[in-house]
Amino acid sequence: MGSRYLLNKIIQAIGTVFLIIVLNFVLFRMMPGSPDRVLLRNPNVTADIREAARERWGLDQPMPVQLVRYIGATLQGDLGYSFKYQGLPVTEVLAGRLWPTLILFGLGELIAIVFGLALGAYSGWKRGGTVDYIGNGTSLIIYSMPYFVIGMFMLGIFATGLGWFPTNGMFEVGRQYETAWQQVGDFAWHLFLPVLTVAIGLIGQYSILMRSSVIDTLGEDYVTTARAKGLTDGDVLRAHALPNALLPAVTLIAINLGFVIGGAITVEVVFNWPGLGTLTVDAVAARDYPVLQGIFLLLSISVVAANFVADIVYGRLDPRVRA
Amino acid sequence: MTAPATGLSTPTPGSATRRSWIQGQRAFWRQFARHRDGVLGIAVLLFFTVMAIAPQLFVGPLETVTTASGGTLEPPSATHIFGTDELGRDILNLTIHGARVSMVIGLLATIITIFLGALIGITSGFFGGRIDAFLMRITDFFLVLPTFVLALVLAPIILDIVGESSQVAGIRMTLVVIIIVIGITSWASTARIIRSQALSVKERMFVDRARVIGSGGGHIMRRHILPNVLNLIVANTVLVFAGAILTETLLAFVGLGDPFAPSWGQILSSAEEQGAPTLGAWWYIVPPATCIVLVVLSFTLVGGALDAVLNPRLRTRR
Amino acid sequence: MSDRAFPHSTEPGLTPPDIRPEDLDRGGEIGDEAGGEGGADATSISRAALAAEPGGPLLARRQWPLPKQADPNAPLLEVTNLRTHFTLESGVVKAVDGVSFRLDHGEALGIAGESGCGKTTTALSLVQILPANATIVEGSIRLMGIDLVPKTENQMRRYRWREISIVFQGAMNALNPVRRVVDQIAEPIEVRLGQSQKASHKRAGDLLELVGIPRKRGRAYPHELSGGMRQRAMIAMALACDPAIVIGDEPTTALDVMVQAQILELLEELRRKLGLSLVLITHDLSVIAETCDRVLIMYAGRVAEEGPVEEVFRRPRHPYTQKLLAAFPNIATDRRTLEVIPGSPPDLRNPPPGCRFAPRCFAAMAVCSEVVPTETSFAGVRVACHLYHVGDDGRPVTTAPANAVGPTAVGVG
Repeated sequence: MGSRYLLNKIIQAIGTVFLIIVLNFVLFRMMPGSPDRVLLRNPNVTADIREAARERWGLDQPMPVQLVRYIGATLQGDLGYSFKYQGLPVTEVLAGRLWPTLILFGLGELIAIVFGLALGAYSGWKRGGTVDYIGNGTSLIIYSMPYFVIGMFMLGIFATGLGWFPTNGMFEVGRQYETAWQQVGDFAWHLFLPVLTVAIGLIGQYSILMRSSVIDTLGEDYVTTARAKGLTDGDVLRAHALPNALLPAVTLIAINLGFVIGGAITVEVVFNWPGLGTLTVDAVAARDYPVLQGIFLLLSISVVAANFVADIVYGRLDPRVRA
Repeated sequence: MTAPATGLSTPTPGSATRRSWIQGQRAFWRQFARHRDGVLGIAVLLFFTVMAIAPQLFVGPLETVTTASGGTLEPPSATHIFGTDELGRDILNLTIHGARVSMVIGLLATIITIFLGALIGITSGFFGGRIDAFLMRITDFFLVLPTFVLALVLAPIILDIVGESSQVAGIRMTLVVIIIVIGITSWASTARIIRSQALSVKERMFVDRARVIGSGGGHIMRRHILPNVLNLIVANTVLVFAGAILTETLLAFVGLGDPFAPSWGQILSSAEEQGAPTLGAWWYIVPPATCIVLVVLSFTLVGGALDAVLNPRLRTRR
Repeated sequence: MSDRAFPHSTEPGLTPPDIRPEDLDRGGEIGDEAGGEGGADATSISRAALAAEPGGPLLARRQWPLPKQADPNAPLLEVTNLRTHFTLESGVVKAVDGVSFRLDHGEALGIAGESGCGKTTTALSLVQILPANATIVEGSIRLMGIDLVPKTENQMRRYRWREISIVFQGAMNALNPVRRVVDQIAEPIEVRLGQSQKASHKRAGDLLELVGIPRKRGRAYPHELSGGMRQRAMIAMALACDPAIVIGDEPTTALDVMVQAQILELLEELRRKLGLSLVLITHDLSVIAETCDRVLIMYAGRVAEEGPVEEVFRRPRHPYTQKLLAAFPNIATDRRTLEVIPGSPPDLRNPPPGCRFAPRCFAAMAVCSEVVPTETSFAGVRVACHLYHVGDDGRPVTTAPANAVGPTAVGVG
């Protein structure tokens, strides 16, 4: 792969991250009147925290100095201290909640990508068939549902209604496990509905896109050439249509990440899944700004990183961009 | 590519313009009517618009804590078709009044989004060069940013600064903040789309001709580029509206809504707080959820039909 | 086995691949029982039987077995009364409506006409890669005596690329943008001829050199090649399975004039070397004049005129042909305004009764808009025009039109 392309993308990514850090700073410091007013309003903030915060932030210093201090601190991994969990460093607060969200989100995306793209490709191939019709209709409806609505239905039907799954949390409260497998099993049991919710929400989008992408690709001249070569339909699809149809899909998956995070947050709320989502909601309610800053930073950088990976993958798939 | 479907083209003097405009409109609606899903979408949207404009016609004034008409969390019955919430309010009542809140928020946020997106897109596409590069850097930045998280973080800050109970033009601050926040976080993809269209329009000769005559930049942008970009903006607006409603729902669900002027998202947020799914109080969830799905679905269908009519993809089959 | 890679080649030195008959893809042949037990038999039958037949020497040098059902005595390609219709929401488009022609071994036939006259549809009909809403409703397409029209999709595959291949226009879109050029050329060799990956890639390299592309450039992607090189690559790809017929669908239209000349030269050279039969579809008559032996003029889905290039271009008989030739500026004559044919081609959902050119024809008579003209042949030329018909004594007769225009309005039978 062209090293210029790679270098370009790396530089872009770093630049964006830098901008994000600056934006973070701007949000919380340059708002008129804040952070002092902000601190004053916060019920959780005691006098010592206020003093400590003032000192840490160097509020008596000029703005550019503050900015530099902030950037320096951030790069060293110092994200401040939570208001709500008094005295706890933000990094610790985040760390504890990070991996449940990663698993929920990662697994959901993975399932959605595999099934969504497959379903979409099949629908596009057998255009007008029953699978296409039903699949398209259902996808449209699901696409119009906020993720948490899907979650609520899932919960209501499968957990409360049928009792197949738990309604709450990551592990059963207070349960003692005899083996590690039991714990994994309990975890998986709790994980099932939330992951299914995220996956269903995404599958609709991916399949709709893949379907139209495949339809477009099948109309291209090189597919006609492939058929004229006497290749079987399967070969034409596999070797010519799909590799090209995947390209817009990769782009969509990358663009989508920012939005999916929003949905994932709400899904966590519905299932009381102890991840970054529930943390965010609690932090908003408590106006725990350091934690909010930390979450914003973390999520934004993750999205940038994921976009970077998607760019690399796209470069592997499409030789035209590598030039 | 002029815009025959909406009858808009470079304005020419006289009644010829009016006539062709009307003809263009008729042709457009005839073509649109062929897309059944789009027509269905418009019908549904009209229904909800009526509901949003005059909810009192259907269910009377919005019930509040003091005027609650039933017991707590009652399941559906003859008097309350969709049961009641935790304060005893009739859920049908809440849902129908919620239409106004959701739709108005969606509308205003969309206006902001489209305005920003179109402004940046057209300016960027028309001026090109450094301005374009600069604006696109910003746009790309906003595209990468998880805007929902940004909105989530921005809203409480602004609320804290301004104060929750104040009002702007009769709309409570909480809602205004949501409107603004959605508006300033969603414009990026619109800007991109419009910019590329503006670029291709700029290529065309008649813009050069206008320049030769000596028209200024603003004039060209307004009278030449804008009409031809309008098609795209219209199709995009519909989809942005759907997105705005969804985003508002998400934000309300997460706790940024206004309990005194409940949108559908806010109703669902209360439902979640009360543990409705766990309690099996489906009547609390289904009405607002169905409304959201219907409205967003309708917008999506209409948007798709509009796109098919206004921006046909010319594919010559040999 | 001959020491020639290409059956009709006169070039020594190109090493032949090792072909085992059982490796060849049988797609379709399994259903084509028509005597013959195996590849070896088919080859020997063809060789023995063809020794002194017309087209025989070319067929005899074939390395790949003929299709089982092939009749060595039949003309290479014979299309009779082909009708291909498209079904649209707004009606049925009769894109090809009664086209007949013949192609002999080693011949180059040009098909000319305006856009939309059905040239490309005819070409696609030959290998049946039409869009879903198109069907061949009538007619026969006999390849070496085998009628391809009733063949199923599976059966057709046997003939695609191995007997008939196509070079499309604008090879930027006709080549898969995400695969290397050499891979795309090797693909049919590997899949259809059962060759190993190594052998097929080597052969692809040979083909590239044959068309004038350095072997190393094969590793490039389509977007990295110039327009001319892409077209050459497409030609190399079309030759991959040693087809009997290569169809060129506007192969030079997207290229600039210098490159056009190079490509035409290349086609000529390959024809000589490999004994190819060529069907060249284009609206550019000068291309046909330079490359083809015979020309078929199509209008609105039907044949207007057909015959040897020299004859048709020197003495065009059909009024459409005359106008077509007159529309081309001649560098040698005085400057004049270009002649334009007034009007536009008919809507093929509702073609006019009678002769389809009548509404625009300067020589139209009353009968032209009522009766479909039958084809008359004389001097090796076929014409479908009421001006030319068979007289009572069985000999062709020409009617002098009332307002004759053009170099020769009257031909002698």
